[in-house]
Amino acid sequence: MSKDILVIGGGIAGMQSSLDLADMGIKVHLIEKLPSIGGKMAQLDKTFPTNDCAI
Amino acid sequence: MLDVGRHPNIELLAYSEVEKVEGEAGDFKVTVRRKARYVEEDRCTGCGACAEKCPTAVPDAFNEGLGDRSAIYSYFAQGIPSTHTIDPDHCRQLNGKKCGICAKTCQAEAINFEQEDRIIELDIGAIIIAAGYDIFDPSLIPEYRYREIANVVTAIEFERLLSASGPTEGHMDRPSDRAVEAEIEALEKKAKKSQKALDKLEKKFDEPSAAFYGKYQAGEYKGDEDRKKWADKYTSHVKIVDPLEELKKKAEGFTVAKRLAFIQCVGSRDFRFYPFCSGYCCMHSIKEAIIAQEHELETHSTIFGMDIRAIGKGFEEYKIRGGNNSNIIYVRGRVAEITEGPNHNPVVTYEDTRERKVKNQEFDMVVLATACAPIKGIDTLAKTVGVELDKYNFIKTGSLSPVDTTTPGIFVCGCAESPMDVPESVAQASSAAGRAAEIAFQSELEKEKAVA
Repeated sequence: MSKDILVIGGGIAGMQSSLDLADMGIKVHLIEKLPSIGGKMAQLDKTFPTNDCAI
Repeated sequence: MLDVGRHPNIELLAYSEVEKVEGEAGDFKVTVRRKARYVEEDRCTGCGACAEKCPTAVPDAFNEGLGDRSAIYSYFAQGIPSTHTIDPDHCRQLNGKKCGICAKTCQAEAINFEQEDRIIELDIGAIIIAAGYDIFDPSLIPEYRYREIANVVTAIEFERLLSASGPTEGHMDRPSDRAVEAEIEALEKKAKKSQKALDKLEKKFDEPSAAFYGKYQAGEYKGDEDRKKWADKYTSHVKIVDPLEELKKKAEGFTVAKRLAFIQCVGSRDFRFYPFCSGYCCMHSIKEAIIAQEHELETHSTIFGMDIRAIGKGFEEYKIRGGNNSNIIYVRGRVAEITEGPNHNPVVTYEDTRERKVKNQEFDMVVLATACAPIKGIDTLAKTVGVELDKYNFIKTGSLSPVDTTTPGIFVCGCAESPMDVPESVAQASSAAGRAAEIAFQSELEKEKAVA
């Protein structure tokens, strides 16, 4: 068994790290201060330069 | 986001904070406080019936205070987890008043006013700090009059106005106009109530209020207490209706904001605040101007900046496309001041450095491209976790080890490290994940070695 990883912050960076680690088969504990994950990026309507939806 | 919520290897601890970290790389003991939501996570279905019935209105942080939410709420509609949360600062029941409407409404019986914070302990191999950033508070720059002039907003506030799921459903309604509309709504409610009372009296005396009031003023009904009450009700009703009609007439002239100004480097590249370039704001403003023009074809935007830093894959092309197709004008010059002109229009005073002239220009709305500031509370978090900060209060890293903090086994990614845009954050996040994975698997290898 591998060691667990703690990720502090559930914004785009924290979510990406968590998914990468989880996909490697590592157990991740993702901590978010607010009631939901998403962070600042969830507040964005679209992202540049492709105008993709942020959520 | 959904993937994170569903992944079997991810334990999502939302509404939680790190209390204590002990140990070293490969063997950390982490204490986490799971704050009380006053809603049972395993029962709440996220249906939102409680939030609909909750009588308390609180400024909605997700919408940057541009709209309201209830005291029991989900942080945003698509939020993961969808579990609702009771805001202990605003909930009537939790503040000793009689309420409990949410508990009565909830069919899943998920509301638990007795819930307390829970402390959990985790055995951790490595830690990744992805705490994010805060938006620079532009009210620190008095000459831009943020909060004084209603139609001067920050880039993230404008983002919420542009969003179809935001408080204006994607229409660029100006904050000054929205304030008038809110006033109309409040007055209409009052008028409806007083009209109801008048209707009752009109029925009782079988006479329209206006006709009665004329006679009353002429001196009829002297000494009649009931009719005096009616006359008082009528005068207070008129006092509501007259300004209401006036506001309604004013609101007929309201249109969405079509002349936009974007002001770059608000707080960044400014030696009074943050000397660094925040990196993403130029592209953010261009994007907002492009999207605004997509929403309303007649929109014209002016972006005021020292220079437009379009450094990144496809960024320069995006900037040029904005200028060619989306009515964006780029003006080289730093804005000196914003004042309020007629009709709550912000007036921008700037030096056009190409023409060497100081100019004034009126806009419907001004958007401030605010700096990326270190997140509030990062000093406490850094102390708790045991890492050093740099001189701006971002997490300290080395130039050849951009995701390694000063403590082995603790890594950083995203804007907690330094200002960066979404693609950079994602790249750094994967990098930090790789570094953390080394430690996670190292302990496994060591165990195997020990067995062999």
